Amino acid sequence: MIDYHFDWTVITRNAGFLADALLLGLGLAVASLAIGCLIGLLAAYARLSRWRLLSGAVWIYVELIRCIPLLLLIFFLYFGLPELGVRFLDKFETFVAALSIYAGAYMCEVFRAGLESIPRQYVEASKAIGLRPWQRQRYVVLPVMFRITLPSISNNLISLFKDTSLAAAIAVPELTFAARQINANTFRVMEAWLTASALYLLTAYAIAIALRQVERRYAAIR
Amino acid sequence: MTEEAKPGDETEARRGAGLERRSLLSLGIAGAAAASLATANGAKAQATGDSKLYAIKDRGRLIVGTGSTNPPWHFQDANGDLAGMDIDMARLLAKGLFDDPEAVEFVIQGSDARIPSLITDKVDIVVQWMTVTPGRAQQVEFTIPYYREGVGLMLLADSQYADFAALRAAGSTITVGGMQNVFLEDWIRKALPEARIDAYDSPDATIQALNARRVDATLSDQSAIRWMMQQAPGRFADSGYGWLPNSYASAVKPGDPTWLNWVNTVYKEAMMGVDFDLFAASYKKWFGVDLEVPKVGFPGEFA
Repeated sequence: MIDYHFDWTVITRNAGFLADALLLGLGLAVASLAIGCLIGLLAAYARLSRWRLLSGAVWIYVELIRCIPLLLLIFFLYFGLPELGVRFLDKFETFVAALSIYAGAYMCEVFRAGLESIPRQYVEASKAIGLRPWQRQRYVVLPVMFRITLPSISNNLISLFKDTSLAAAIAVPELTFAARQINANTFRVMEAWLTASALYLLTAYAIAIALRQVERRYAAIR
Repeated sequence: MTEEAKPGDETEARRGAGLERRSLLSLGIAGAAAASLATANGAKAQATGDSKLYAIKDRGRLIVGTGSTNPPWHFQDANGDLAGMDIDMARLLAKGLFDDPEAVEFVIQGSDARIPSLITDKVDIVVQWMTVTPGRAQQVEFTIPYYREGVGLMLLADSQYADFAALRAAGSTITVGGMQNVFLEDWIRKALPEARIDAYDSPDATIQALNARRVDATLSDQSAIRWMMQQAPGRFADSGYGWLPNSYASAVKPGDPTWLNWVNTVYKEAMMGVDFDLFAASYKKWFGVDLEVPKVGFPGEFA
């Protein structure tokens, strides 16, 4: 065994700090996923649009974001934008913006695939019963599309939750930041990172289980 | 961490090796070890002729322990050569010894090796932004200090806060950045009790947060503030208030008054005497500050 004396009191003493940090991370992930889904949905429709300029612009957005590490996007928004005169976002808003833009690109591809996988007959049948275009989307296409893409949405939420660890780089006090602060204060590196790992693992797993239940109930493909 | 004696080991060698290993682990233990070593060696009286000063003269070069990663004290310049205030002080010693500022061998070491490398005779002197503390002074002997370090607040030159008074008056509406560090909050609160604090994981992120106006000021060593102001003229400003004073000095192995006194003489005369021009030029180069010529026509005590 390793010759190291664990002192878990540093964790119990900082339990409140770690809990706040974990909740902050979850909050950031949920907010980013919500905004990201909205961006993704609009982008997916735009991507499938007949207007070449619009679908081209979205194609550039998706490819650009998917090919840039999230950390660089965060740095650009946090350190770069203020130098260009954009100053109204604080560190939390900056991070949510970065994660939402990032999530939006991925969700766009998920929704595009979902929209394209909806059988032609559904749309034709809804036309046949006289639904208007927006009614076809609202009552037929979107519900089916969400059921088809539910597993991918779950995947992305778990992934986004883990990505909140990057917020530590811009002084957002989430879980990774809290672990690093405990390291700096106590040099109890093993305890801090093991605890952070366990919290990430448990939380991500809990999200996975919860979403699995939702999928069981609603997913189109069984 | 006790050293097990192996049969056949030569006692002195083993003790020396053990001492070095332990010292690297903890300065505190190094202190105890140094004390025991000092007793062992100090028993024989130091004759002037035995001084390290003459061993160095015979060797033909000075061996200096320093670092390579902390501008403006000791770092690698654009050509990869060691440069900085510490390096200049070491070259000043070599000039005094051999009339050749280049006759120095630099041993690059981490801050935790400063005391062990002296005790184990790896280096003749440590010139490595060493803060004088009573605890360390029991393990090594300090020369006279050549700088008083402290912390300060760096602003952007065009900041809406002109100086420290303005920052203080702004209360909790300002954010101060700094390196994530166990003392960061205490240090900032000492000067700005109400300010919000953002901790970053690297010095460059801290500076960029200031550049991007994410923070209104950053906490830095005074010397680092001067260095940054020197590097990017017109971009940064010093808030004008410094606190947490601490002295930087060189250190030598205890028990050699001749060597220590010689180094002190060189340092004193660099700051106040014949080598003032060299010292002032270094000072200007690394800190961007013009030193006033010491008042002449009086003993130092009257100036």
